[in-house]
Amino acid sequence: MATVQDFSGYTPTWCPGCGNWGIGRALMMSLSEQGLTPANVNVMFDIGCSGNMNDFLNASSMHTLHGRSIANAVGCKIANHEMPVVMVGGDGATYGEGGNHFLHACRGNHDITLIVHDNGVYGLTKGQTSPVAHQGYKSKTTPDGVIDRPVYALLLALTQGATFIAQGFSGNLPQMAQLITAAMKHRGIALVNILQPCVSFNKVNTYGYYFEKSYQLKDHDPTNFEAALQKCAEPMQEKFPIGILYQVERPTYTDQIAHLQEHSLLKAPKYAAATSLIKWFE
Amino acid sequence: MAIPALQFLWKIGAPAGLGVMTTGLTLSKLATRSGYHIYDYTEYPSLIKGGHNTYEVNISKDPVSMVKNEVDCLVCFDELTFNLHQTRLTPASTVVFDPHTFQPETVAQKIEVPMQELLNELKAEKVMVNMIGLGASFALLGGDFSLLVELITEQFKRKGDEVIALNTNCAKAGFEHVTKNYQSVVRPILTPEPDPEARSVLAGNDAFALGAVAADCRFYAAYPMSPSSSVLEFLAEWQKHTGMVVRHAEDEIGVVNEALGASFAGVRAATGTSGGGFALMVETLSYAGVAELPLVVFLAQRPGPATGMPTWTEQGDLLFAVHAGHGEFPKIVLAPGDPEEMLDLAMRAFDLADIYQTPVIVLSDKVLSESHYSVSVKTLESLMQRTSKRGKLIAVSDQHPYLRYAMTDDGISPRLIPGQSPAWYQANSYEHKPDSHTTEDAFERMQQVEKRAKKMQTYFTNDFTGPSVYGDIASADLILYGWGGTKGAVLEALRQIECTENAACSDHRWHALHGKPRPGGKHCNIAFLHFTHVYPLDSEKIKSYFSYQKPYLLVENNSTGQFGQLIKQATGFETRHQLLKYDGRPIFTEEVMTAVEKALRTEAEC
Repeated sequence: MATVQDFSGYTPTWCPGCGNWGIGRALMMSLSEQGLTPANVNVMFDIGCSGNMNDFLNASSMHTLHGRSIANAVGCKIANHEMPVVMVGGDGATYGEGGNHFLHACRGNHDITLIVHDNGVYGLTKGQTSPVAHQGYKSKTTPDGVIDRPVYALLLALTQGATFIAQGFSGNLPQMAQLITAAMKHRGIALVNILQPCVSFNKVNTYGYYFEKSYQLKDHDPTNFEAALQKCAEPMQEKFPIGILYQVERPTYTDQIAHLQEHSLLKAPKYAAATSLIKWFE
Repeated sequence: MAIPALQFLWKIGAPAGLGVMTTGLTLSKLATRSGYHIYDYTEYPSLIKGGHNTYEVNISKDPVSMVKNEVDCLVCFDELTFNLHQTRLTPASTVVFDPHTFQPETVAQKIEVPMQELLNELKAEKVMVNMIGLGASFALLGGDFSLLVELITEQFKRKGDEVIALNTNCAKAGFEHVTKNYQSVVRPILTPEPDPEARSVLAGNDAFALGAVAADCRFYAAYPMSPSSSVLEFLAEWQKHTGMVVRHAEDEIGVVNEALGASFAGVRAATGTSGGGFALMVETLSYAGVAELPLVVFLAQRPGPATGMPTWTEQGDLLFAVHAGHGEFPKIVLAPGDPEEMLDLAMRAFDLADIYQTPVIVLSDKVLSESHYSVSVKTLESLMQRTSKRGKLIAVSDQHPYLRYAMTDDGISPRLIPGQSPAWYQANSYEHKPDSHTTEDAFERMQQVEKRAKKMQTYFTNDFTGPSVYGDIASADLILYGWGGTKGAVLEALRQIECTENAACSDHRWHALHGKPRPGGKHCNIAFLHFTHVYPLDSEKIKSYFSYQKPYLLVENNSTGQFGQLIKQATGFETRHQLLKYDGRPIFTEEVMTAVEKALRTEAEC
């Protein structure tokens, strides 16, 4: 049994007031509460301010290439599905650079948890716009405002087959920890999109913005696809529901591979009859 | 070297969709089961129906590793086949065709087979015309019909007795038509040999797939791309038995990163692609390099740039593979020359990736990937039973903190499988300290760069293998050098040139072999240096091969002599004689012979 302290690594280099502090702490609390240790959870850190958590959180991990953490997570999970796999990345990595991996991982219902730090900007490269920024958002790379519509990630996840979709707010640490735990306990792909003000670069999506536009889900049936569809579409009207939006049971990717039911790929005995395949070519 | 046996070349051509590929492969198997060696070669455009597909099988009592120019039997399912390939016929050749379709004007002997009429009589589908053609061909070559029945039965087992019977009847109709009407033309090319050695009919992709299974690769993810896709298909087909997980995932960036994730988790993992897909994977090679994770990439080359010529061949991606990935990190590139070497080196690639904890690329090309050879089953079995070497892989460490990137004399640090020990680490894409945390410290950076580089020195000491030498360098008038898939054509040339030198090889035999009179005058001896461990090259181990005071001829299936550049970089040696070919076709034996003559003539004139 590991404590929050056991998961705590180097002192973070995040800006004072950055939402990453809360998300990092919430993840450590969740991992500790679940009885995990740094050695028995695989965390795939993407690149960005969020991914820099690699040195601040003690865990078996990959600090991947930008946008590729989900693909690494999928391979890692299939190779050893007995170990939980968590991905930590930003909105740019998950919905932009790695957007294709994201939507295909939803289709496959891979049993991985995606903790997405959604702050609307590329913080580590100093504030350029991200794919979730609203139309008209001005940044150094979009001086006249973003022309493209934003990626509506919750909707995208829902329509591509994600089986767990939650939204958190980095100002609410205990709830984030709960959502992460629920996501990790869920069997199948779990998206936890965390609204997170970037205090250094995003002057639009501030704490004040989210205090005003977000609300706690009440009397919502997360197993109801139609209801979830409605809730996941609300960000289109700048309304941000917080809580579990959708959760259904569906076999995971590895559940559907017959030869992984007895052993993980890692622990399976070596195939002894390789030479019998020569017959295919006689 | 003994006198090479006669080679007999059978060729079939038709629009795509008429089963040319299946028919050709069946003939290769028939010949192999009858006790002969084959080498086959296909040409087809990048489309599914129409166009023009051909399949040629070179048959011999001796090992054979390339086709030859003269076509001894041409089976035409349409007039185009005859028009395109008639220049390769000789008076001794036979041409099989349907007299109701066209009448060829040719020096060759005509074998009229009313294919459409026979199809109608048997109420068979149009595609079964290939069985009639096959039956007729097999009869012309003096084959044992029961072997054909055996193969048809195996091939259509899943489709039921009715399909087997119909195909057998079509084959029989073709076979009997020839035995009845053309008995005098039948040549004993495929008369069954007594007690033939068990041989497989194996192409490069087949061999890579077998090698991956034998090497205990447990995860293979790929995105289809010609000419690499059949590896993905075979492994997927076998996964229920082998226990491998085989994924056709979203794109090449996805699959290579999945493979790397699986490798991190502790299983052997690989991906496969061609040039365009490989281009998408290179960032991940760099990650594997710095994070020191094993990764095997099968790269079956086709002519680029960009989409290029998808179903044709080239050795154009050697330097790309060698330089793939940003930053400086160790990488091993292997290039087998035939299916047997492919199996051997595929297995070796997994060992080297584990031992050196770095990416290993196995290069193929369309011709090596898809052309079949007859390979002894015993040889394959003994290769496949070789024990894997997993290097410094550990399941448990009591070190705290665990130093994943610890400094060691050989540059290789113990690599922990996650999850089975209290120890943990991060496979960090950033530069890192020995304990795997990120660093930007100047000294720590230099230490890690040097540690990683040291692995290649260790590779030179323990695992680098220099060229295989064919022929006798000491007596050679000319030394050829090359790599990978051009091996087959050069070895054929070597055999034939030695035959020319061999007095026991009668003029008559020579004529039969080459289809033209034996030339007079002085002949020559050649030797061939064939490289399979193409990068990195150990200068110390290879420079002596380039120190003879003799002319050298570089042989490559590309336009810039890429391997020649690597050799120059490693040894300072370069040659003015080059056989470079980049029209999408393989280098043929005759072209090697011509290049040899030209190089020697140029030398003589100097």
